[in-house]
Amino acid sequence: MTNIYKPDLMEVLQVKQHTPDVKSVRIKFQDEARAREFDFHVGQFGIFSAFGYGESTFNICSSSNWKDYIEFCFRKTGMVTEALWRIEEGDTIGFRGPYGNSYPMKEWEGKNLIFIGGGIAMPPIRCAIWYALENREKYGNITIVYGARTVDDLVFQDELDEWATRERVTVIRTVDPGGETPDWTGKVGFVPTVVEESNIPMDNTAALVIGPPIMIKYTLPILAKAGIADEDIYTSLENRMKCGVGKCGRCNVGPVYVCKEGPVFNMEQLKTLPNDM
Amino acid sequence: MSEVISQQTLSQLVDQWISQGKRVAGPTRVKPDVLLYEFLTAADQLLLNGFIRPANTIKELIFPRTEKLYGYRLEGKQIELYDVEPPATEQIVVGARPCDAAAFPTLDYVFNWDYKDPFYRRLRDLTTIVTLACRDHDEHCFCTSVKLAPDDEGGSDAMLFDLGDGNYEVRCLTDKGKALFAGATQSSDKVGKAGPGPEPSIDLDKVKQFLDTNFESPQWQSLSLRCVGCGACAYTCPTCHCFDIVDEGNAAGGARVRNWDACQFSMFTMHASGHNPRSDKSQRQRQRIMHKFQIYPDKFGEILCTGCGNCTRNCPVSLGVKPVLEAIQEIATTETIETK
Amino acid sequence: MLNQLHETCRKLLEDGTVQVVIGYGQSSPDTPAYPIFVTRPEDVQQLVWNNQCFGNLTTYLTRKEVRAMGKPAIVVKGCDEKTLVVLEKESQIDRSQIVVIGMACSAVGNPPLAKCQACEVHMPRFADATIGQVENPASETDGRYADLEAFLQKTPADRMAYWMNELDRCVKCYACRQVCPLCYCETCIVDKNRPQRIDTSPTLKGNYAWHITRAFHLAARCVGCDECTRACPAGIDLRLLNLSVAKAAETDFGFRAGMDPEVEPVVGSYSEQDKEGFIR
Repeated sequence: MTNIYKPDLMEVLQVKQHTPDVKSVRIKFQDEARAREFDFHVGQFGIFSAFGYGESTFNICSSSNWKDYIEFCFRKTGMVTEALWRIEEGDTIGFRGPYGNSYPMKEWEGKNLIFIGGGIAMPPIRCAIWYALENREKYGNITIVYGARTVDDLVFQDELDEWATRERVTVIRTVDPGGETPDWTGKVGFVPTVVEESNIPMDNTAALVIGPPIMIKYTLPILAKAGIADEDIYTSLENRMKCGVGKCGRCNVGPVYVCKEGPVFNMEQLKTLPNDM
Repeated sequence: MSEVISQQTLSQLVDQWISQGKRVAGPTRVKPDVLLYEFLTAADQLLLNGFIRPANTIKELIFPRTEKLYGYRLEGKQIELYDVEPPATEQIVVGARPCDAAAFPTLDYVFNWDYKDPFYRRLRDLTTIVTLACRDHDEHCFCTSVKLAPDDEGGSDAMLFDLGDGNYEVRCLTDKGKALFAGATQSSDKVGKAGPGPEPSIDLDKVKQFLDTNFESPQWQSLSLRCVGCGACAYTCPTCHCFDIVDEGNAAGGARVRNWDACQFSMFTMHASGHNPRSDKSQRQRQRIMHKFQIYPDKFGEILCTGCGNCTRNCPVSLGVKPVLEAIQEIATTETIETK
Repeated sequence: MLNQLHETCRKLLEDGTVQVVIGYGQSSPDTPAYPIFVTRPEDVQQLVWNNQCFGNLTTYLTRKEVRAMGKPAIVVKGCDEKTLVVLEKESQIDRSQIVVIGMACSAVGNPPLAKCQACEVHMPRFADATIGQVENPASETDGRYADLEAFLQKTPADRMAYWMNELDRCVKCYACRQVCPLCYCETCIVDKNRPQRIDTSPTLKGNYAWHITRAFHLAARCVGCDECTRACPAGIDLRLLNLSVAKAAETDFGFRAGMDPEVEPVVGSYSEQDKEGFIR
């Protein structure tokens, strides 16, 4: 019988620091056979181990088209992430997954896409952006609105630059008022405000909005006003997890287990959920 | 026609199983006023009457309070994972309460939901459960309110009925049960009967209706006010199964273990960011009731409660599930507020 | 006594002196009483007083959901009242903002609990309202460690075997901690993980670490209300642990928690008379 709780051992290929407290890590399976058979869909998450400390849940933030490795991104916040912070190239960590459901990339084909993210919520959006860009002809215009508290808190800035050069891609960067530096060329303002003021065309559009609850709260009405239906607005929830496989009873938001029936939800589903977040 | 076994033969069987190296558990008096299910070293430790039910449950045999998931060795940058020797010893429970055994068919759902939990499966397969139908009940029992009965067969491999004359009727319900008692029973025309059980007092439909429409109700505050926030209810509940996963070891290695956990603890849903979706005790109490009487039934079709009453008996402030359900029922009927 | 309790509480609620009475309720006679929170004068009838009134209600005085209810009146037995002394000395309560209703108590439990057999505080000493009288209140001053002393007659090997057995049953439900009025830490040491000083697992190692740490954290603070012992679903004899540390506090520091509000707490104060023999 498979030990569903036992992770695969992964070799750390690369560690990249984005901000004073955010790093992203590239890892590959130590076991070649496992590497070959592994597959996932963007939006799914994994549970990553720092042995001796514990496990932590992160979205797999690399595109599912990249076959030689997977990536995750985390903020140094607690015991496990502090242990993960210390890892270097060549180290070994654990991974189990992929768990959860995924973004409806197939349903989104033929639509324009708008990606809205705040702060550390860029990584779970990044995988979807890369996936869409790698299947460019299947999707319409792509707009990315990404903001953080300060310039130093923006992650994957080099990739944002790269995305801005791609065809029919608009990248709008913003920082909260007071977070700008003298040489900042992006916008200044909270994400919802920037979304509204940018007058982004939203016909035939699906949206992926991930960020702090308050950001989502103020962004949704703007998208609704622009005519995007609840069932076309998606988000990815997070919750404290342990098992990731629907057994430990920790991650439920009302009747749904975020690890099994999420973390990807659309607004129509989200509105049926009780305030258990 | 029935099969019966004498107390003496039963004791001999139990001693035989123990001497065969099997792990045999049953109700036993650990201290003058402490009655628990424990592993026995001799049949004379087994108690089959004179009490309502032990203060703990038999879930320990299939879902232990602490369980190693696998081990890890650390050598510089090298990490090696190794599997723990799976249990292989047969386990037998004698004299379990039907409300304890009935938990397992219910728990089977969550432990096999898409991902099959091998630890649960193995111990489940290794365990034979012999229940003893109840003749008595106390004010905390409410099995009949959750569609069970003092002689409910769910989860039992064999059920004993005290005939009152030093003999027990043995009803073997599964192959495991039959194998256990093969050749040890005698035919008889005596048939055992369980007690009537408690008068059903909870209208589950009313409770479900309340739960479906009152997530935000201010009633949860008063319903949970005296709760002290321990895990006594969850840990002595036959169906509660929440667990934590932790790494325990030292610089050379250790093991990743899973331990019982309870939604009643304040840190249960605490995020690393410091945000806690259930920072209020009332929210945590609501979660427990919802999980048992709404979420689990909606998802798997079974109530996550067998009406054993352990939660209230073990609760330092006599709360537990039944008083809350009764209060909910009253609210749903008359809009009063107190929890009795 | 009951009428007087009802009347006292009714007046307190009616004239707005307090917003909530924390007392005992009971669903039926001869079953354990449990905490109730009475906010309306007409509900004071729910309050009971009898030998089933276990429970040290002072544990609610430090809880945010109870504090939010307003100024409380609290029903205490003499043993519970000792906790108030400690809580006040540790600045966890403002005694002037609590109305203490002290109940004369001969014993709780049938048979009486172990703590009642050596009780010296049958009559409350610092209450705002004292209800009842106890005939022949005992003033045994040397019987309180009797159970511990009997236990200490055993050999160390026997004692260790006893504790291995007891602590093996612990499931880490933390009922002991949660009922204890003096375990009011925002984040308990066992819930901290940087570093994880105490294993959370209910193994012998984790259980020993937990119970010994807790006993030490209650050293010279625990008043012996024995709620932890009563709350333990596994019947672990926590009372013996607490007696052990209490005896050390009395022997080495002449201190008994909760008895004298004028005496500074041992672990919260420094005196030049403190023994320093361990500094070599």
